[in-house]
Amino acid sequence: MLHFMMGEFEAEFPTDCRYAKNHMWASESGERIRFGFTAYAVRLLQDVYFLDWNFDAPATVSSRQLLGSIESKKAESDLFAPLAGELSEFNATLLNDPSAINVDKYGEGWLFEMAAEVDAQSELMTPSEYVSHLADVWEVTQRTIKGQLN
Amino acid sequence: MARRISAVVSQGQSHNPRKRELEEELVTLLMMEPGIDAAVIPNLYDVKPDGTSALALQGVSGDVIVFSWLYERAARWTLDRLDVRGAEGVSTINAELDEDEEGDSEAGDSADEEKKSRVADDRPVPKRRIYCLELSAFESAAEFMVEVRRIQKELTTSVVSLGGLDDWVSPTAKPSPESLERFANPTNDTALGSNGTLQHAEGSNGFHASNGAAEPAVDVIRIDESADRRWYPVIDFGRCTNCMECIDFCLFGVYGIDGAETILVEQPDNCRKGCPACSRVCPENAIIFPQHKSPAIAGAPAEVGTLKIDLSRLFGAPDAVEQAARERDEQLVLAGRETVGLTVGIPKRQEENATESKDELDDLIDGLDELDI
Repeated sequence: MLHFMMGEFEAEFPTDCRYAKNHMWASESGERIRFGFTAYAVRLLQDVYFLDWNFDAPATVSSRQLLGSIESKKAESDLFAPLAGELSEFNATLLNDPSAINVDKYGEGWLFEMAAEVDAQSELMTPSEYVSHLADVWEVTQRTIKGQLN
Repeated sequence: MARRISAVVSQGQSHNPRKRELEEELVTLLMMEPGIDAAVIPNLYDVKPDGTSALALQGVSGDVIVFSWLYERAARWTLDRLDVRGAEGVSTINAELDEDEEGDSEAGDSADEEKKSRVADDRPVPKRRIYCLELSAFESAAEFMVEVRRIQKELTTSVVSLGGLDDWVSPTAKPSPESLERFANPTNDTALGSNGTLQHAEGSNGFHASNGAAEPAVDVIRIDESADRRWYPVIDFGRCTNCMECIDFCLFGVYGIDGAETILVEQPDNCRKGCPACSRVCPENAIIFPQHKSPAIAGAPAEVGTLKIDLSRLFGAPDAVEQAARERDEQLVLAGRETVGLTVGIPKRQEENATESKDELDDLIDGLDELDI
């Protein structure tokens, strides 16, 4: 596990997967890559109330294409594709009950699976690259939150 | 009855029959309303600074109500651009929204940053009031007339309190309605106006009706100057801090600097039609494109529907600067020039770090609870 301190909260990141800039973990599962929210994302969202996708799988998506949206106790957000590729499956159980995102973010709380070219996969970061990315964006993240509270 | 008030109807750009009908219905009612001098001009935003409409607007020194299809803030600062200035008349049409918005932002400002100085802070405005009403607020003209009468009443009341009648008349001996009326609407031409300047009697502080000043105007002044559609930024100087990020970003020479080193839209017609990029890079959201489809860019009040934080930016949405650079590149290509991407005039906002102590995250997020959703 790698760690990143979000204020007093310690976010944990498994070292057996890779990471996307939009705060998703990526874990190979056969031919596909499974994606889910990292501890960083979940800490910002807190309790997830609602998750919705804009289309059905399978679908071809481009990098940063709008996929759907999420609503939590504290926040709402649009969700975007971490990579270009073939989105093969959304985690259907989350649609009725998204609580697994909070309870088991690196397991049952996975979001979707994709097949992507090796080239596209090179955008994914190693755990240590992701943690240093977090250090870089932490200030901006705080300001984003703070800016919206004003 | 109040002092005479000028009412200006700015026609929409489109020939949407429903809109035209509302405009005409309103003009008719305004024309018949006592104390109102009515005029019709082409779309305020399209008006040229040296055209007939602009000259007519500049000629009005008294209180004005401007009806347009623009958002209130867009209309106000478009008028400012045309040298038509005055104190902000607050309309009850948008009052609820405005109060919420201002309440929030003031609380935030005072709590965590010293007040930034805005360009408008150093610009005195005449005391007369300008009310900008959004024609999209109501479906029928009659509803607007309710607001017009409220404004007439408000202006009469404020004249009395400013003029100090109730200071020198004892509370038990109230001035008669007739003397109040004479005070509010003097019949001699040496009376002092509410701003202390010599003011001529009826009509002379508004549009000059063709049938003479002695009779209430029953005509409507119609200005049919040809108004080609224009596209240019309008700066809200109530928000602008003169940071110069817009002039750095725009590569089409729209912005300039005046004698006092204040930003201005110097060459509005250099602006690329449809491109709102500078508005996206403005850190104060002070640049309005009144005809843009996105309400935030067209000058709408801050969205009040949602009180949750929007994390889209953190989860991969293109940020405003990226989008602005993309839009600017599209325009550079259209103009036969080389694209520059993110290499030119990109705001330095990220550098000026508001350093926060790291333990504040919890407080910040929990602060949302106190908003009492």
